[in-house]
Amino acid sequence: MSTPDSRGSALPAKESLFKRHENLTVLSIFLGFVVVVVLIQLISTGGSRFPTFISPVNIVNILQQVAVPGTVAISMTMVMVSGGIDLSVGMLASLVSIIVALGVSQWRLGVWPSIGLGVGSAVVLETVLGLIISRTRIEPFIITLGGMISFQGIALLLCNSREVVMQGELNFLTANLAGGARDPVTGLILRIPPYVVSFFVIALIGGLVLAYTRYGRRIYAVGTNPRAAFLAGIDVRNMRLSVYMIQGLLVGIGATMLLARINTGIITLGQGLEIDTIAMVVIGGTALSGGKGNIVGTLIGVFFLGSIANAMNLLRLPSEVQFLAKGVIVIVAVSAGDISSQISDFRTLRRERMRAHDLAIAAKKGGKQAQGAVQADFQDSSV
Amino acid sequence: MDEILRLSHVSKTFPGVRALNDISFDLKRGEVHCLCGENGAGKSTLIKILSGAYQPDEGGQIVFNGKEASLNPRSALRMGIHTIYQEHIVFNDLDVTENIFAGSEIVRNGLMQRKEMRRQTENVLKYLKSDIPPAARMRNLTSGQQKIVEIAKALISRSNVIILDEPTASFSSNEIETVLDVVRRVKQEGVGVIYISHHLDEVFAVGDRATVLRDGRVVGAYAVKDLSKTALIKDMVGRDPSTFYKRERVKTGEVVLEVKNVSGNGARNVSFELRRGEILGVAGMVGSGRSELMEALFGAAPLVYGEIAINGRSIKQSSPKSAIRNKMCFITEDRQSTGLFLPKTIAENVAMANMATTRAILVRPSDEVSTAEKFIKLLNIKAPSARARVVNLSGGNQQKVVLGKWFNTGGEIYIFDEPSHGIDVGAKQEIYKTMVDLLKAGKAIVMVSSDMPEVISMSDRVIVFRRGEIAGELAGDAITEENILTLSIGDREQ
Repeated sequence: MSTPDSRGSALPAKESLFKRHENLTVLSIFLGFVVVVVLIQLISTGGSRFPTFISPVNIVNILQQVAVPGTVAISMTMVMVSGGIDLSVGMLASLVSIIVALGVSQWRLGVWPSIGLGVGSAVVLETVLGLIISRTRIEPFIITLGGMISFQGIALLLCNSREVVMQGELNFLTANLAGGARDPVTGLILRIPPYVVSFFVIALIGGLVLAYTRYGRRIYAVGTNPRAAFLAGIDVRNMRLSVYMIQGLLVGIGATMLLARINTGIITLGQGLEIDTIAMVVIGGTALSGGKGNIVGTLIGVFFLGSIANAMNLLRLPSEVQFLAKGVIVIVAVSAGDISSQISDFRTLRRERMRAHDLAIAAKKGGKQAQGAVQADFQDSSV
Repeated sequence: MDEILRLSHVSKTFPGVRALNDISFDLKRGEVHCLCGENGAGKSTLIKILSGAYQPDEGGQIVFNGKEASLNPRSALRMGIHTIYQEHIVFNDLDVTENIFAGSEIVRNGLMQRKEMRRQTENVLKYLKSDIPPAARMRNLTSGQQKIVEIAKALISRSNVIILDEPTASFSSNEIETVLDVVRRVKQEGVGVIYISHHLDEVFAVGDRATVLRDGRVVGAYAVKDLSKTALIKDMVGRDPSTFYKRERVKTGEVVLEVKNVSGNGARNVSFELRRGEILGVAGMVGSGRSELMEALFGAAPLVYGEIAINGRSIKQSSPKSAIRNKMCFITEDRQSTGLFLPKTIAENVAMANMATTRAILVRPSDEVSTAEKFIKLLNIKAPSARARVVNLSGGNQQKVVLGKWFNTGGEIYIFDEPSHGIDVGAKQEIYKTMVDLLKAGKAIVMVSSDMPEVISMSDRVIVFRRGEIAGELAGDAITEENILTLSIGDREQ
């Protein structure tokens, strides 16, 4: 016996505005946050000074801080859209920084070969993880957790548990591209280093790949329904592998940028990077279950998370409170979408209940005729 | 023998379908009452009413133990009506005892009485003459043994009625005997057993009475000892063929697909040919290995042995990707879980299978939309736009999106697995018409179907599956319900 179609799902669902434009929820929360911070600043200064939070020099500051996690968040979005996750990025970044720093300062390989070695290692190691994940049925969570621990081990072995100090060989990555431009508000010098530009270029490429290439479409297909994707002729295993290879590439680049800022290869360099990037991606609306998410959302997540700590500093809140605020904001941002869709579901239910109530009253009055109306209603809704 | 359960004039209507029509049925203590009927005759709906999963339409009456009763999942269990479904519902990592007492553990002062539970388990298994160790993990048991554990659970919870839905599907003949023995012992306990099986020899081996359903009606109720197999089959068939869909015939062309001695994924030594302009029906009971064979032909499951040739050229089908490149299309049975990307738009869905063949790197959303619009028009898909999400469409329109996805690949050989499963009558006819249009364009179709009128009205030839093998082939006037059913039920020994 075939089960009849569940007609309920065919009802013309009135989607909420937030549902139709998936990035709108988190964008509005972000803007709300910005407005609140600006208002606090205005009130505390009595409106006498321009709020420093949205001054160009502060925005450029935030950009410098988010460039590295933002870069990794781009590939993390791809991994998560495909239905995977990667916990190893933090330790992998530390490992890359140590390899590059060692290459430059101890092995005397030269700057570019060292960077190549570091980035290449990241790609190779992520490829290994990707091979295991795509060829077995083991959860990516577990595999990349194992990866994280082993990368930490490799890194500590390489540097003998010591930090590797460089002599500023990577300073060309932190040069100021903005020339001597000054912030019209504060009069401070604006610094736009190359790695900020490269973050935007990578984000643009990532966004285009996900939205406008066959490859990007396949990532969504694999994340939405792997079985249907397989039967539609998509090589699901190699798709899964490839997103981890891209992850390796971007972690390599991101770690090099971070090393250029810190000038020291050290095991703590990438600490917590996996938490930050996953939080950014998730705030941006990407589902842990895969198939849903986009780079625009992720960018909002990147700027949102990146500006929280900055705003707290400007508001002179102690760092203990910052953690709490950050955590609360992550939870609010992620649950907002679900809460808004639950509200709209509740409204739909209430509408249906009122309609059914009307029908029941009509049936009492009109007897048989009203029953016909119920039937017709069913047929309409099946379209 | 006293009566335990009686249904009088029970009906069940779904929107657009009358699944059960004025059913009367009764069950006595200590008897095995078999329910017979084709796929879709209404057996499953009847079980679901008895287990309380469905509420019957108003007007009928259900009497349990002499008192009128209304059934919902809770009250059915309280009355001791225990349903054992075809798929095992077990906890694989718990042992036999824990499985039997899951949800009704014996507890004293907040502590589980393991010894007591173990003792009762041993007793019931001994009574059933089973040698399953009570401490064995469920995972390590065969499917036959797992079924016996489920029956033991029903016995221990003092059931009055045990409903067995296809208890022997996919068992070896050895295991079937064991399960049948257990059923005989269960009825000696004074339990009423409702037994559903596609295999008529089981009905004769274990049944006391048999009720035959067809199209949601009771067509006969008999004592099994007065019944012959041919009479039973006659009862199960008997639809009026003049009510079937009338299909336009198309002149057939050269052979496009040859399958030679293929084994794998449950199918054994299957050979057939398919010509352009023809529909080859694949009939047989659910679970007879038809869909599994199609998966293997499409490269979605490993082919153990045999050869596939397309247009006379032998090919290797290593994955669905290569199958699509060889111009094959596979409209799967379960469109929601294997055919569609539900949260995505119609345009994105239609573009998806084409990606195996195209070399383009970039996709243009506007091109996808205009392609999808073409298929929306061609297939008469009722949707607000090509950007509508597939999840919001009705079953028939979803199926049409699946068709659009495959038409977009320009395929030549179409495998339809249950093409009209869960679709309303109007959309069904449109899909049939589309299939004939494919034939006119020189394509070829393999159609797996459990819907008897569909098989008979649409097929040029029919091959009938039984337990993974082709039991026979029918063509022309020989394609009748009776012939198909006889081939697909058959005798286990053959």
